[in-house]
Amino acid sequence: MAEITMYHYLVLGLVLFLAGILGSMIAKNVIKVLISIEFMLTGININFVTFASYCDNANFNGYVMALFYVGIGAVELAVALYIFYLMFRKKESDNIEKYSEL
Amino acid sequence: MITNPIIFYSATGLIFVFTMLALCFKNLIYSLLSSVVVFFGAALIFYLLGSEYNAIIQAAIYGLAVPVIIGVSIMFTKGKHEAGKGFTLPYLTMLFGGIFVLAFVYLMMMSLAIMPDTFHLMGIVQTTSMDNISAFSKGIFVNYVWAFELVSLLLTIVIAGISIFKKRGA
Repeated sequence: MAEITMYHYLVLGLVLFLAGILGSMIAKNVIKVLISIEFMLTGININFVTFASYCDNANFNGYVMALFYVGIGAVELAVALYIFYLMFRKKESDNIEKYSEL
Repeated sequence: MITNPIIFYSATGLIFVFTMLALCFKNLIYSLLSSVVVFFGAALIFYLLGSEYNAIIQAAIYGLAVPVIIGVSIMFTKGKHEAGKGFTLPYLTMLFGGIFVLAFVYLMMMSLAIMPDTFHLMGIVQTTSMDNISAFSKGIFVNYVWAFELVSLLLTIVIAGISIFKKRGA
């Protein structure tokens, strides 16, 4: 079996990122859109850690960046879910097409 | 770093299948459970890449904390009229997903049993954990200390803002 190189991990991150983009475009439900955005962030994190592991063995800057992205992702999700909760109380629906007006 | 092709391709297949399932499920709970598998798979990928700390953070935050938050918000927003909708297809998909996971575990165990010499897991893992930790601490507290403080400030603002909104809403 072929050896695993950096490009294998980069392709995995790209696939996860593209799946997140696809999901955020086609999903009708707000929570599904948020989950898709988390997929995109996870794909980006995989790329950061891959570059840090293969190209930056001294400082591991990609690890730190991935750590920041996880923190920022959690914050973004908490704020988005609270906005969604407030909107849901007003619109009585989780369909994203009804959320065009704040 | 672990460069075992079987583990990598299995984790990649698991991530890909459950990503598609998370996007295709109509039931939000099943979609959420599939996304949990994806996040744990990403944690496994981080571990394979030699970043144990990132793997633990990924499993703790994305694998456990974030799904709990999303699950609570689903519970808050779902009406009784939607309960039980679209049950058969997700059930079958979860069943086949479970069979896939069982087959994966079986394959791994059999591979380890048949070819123990080709799985030098402990030998392949780099024994530079202290180097990783020191590089991490240097990155967070020296090179990127302002970004670290900014994220801390952002988290504090979010907690304070949500509690203020909650008081106003009540």
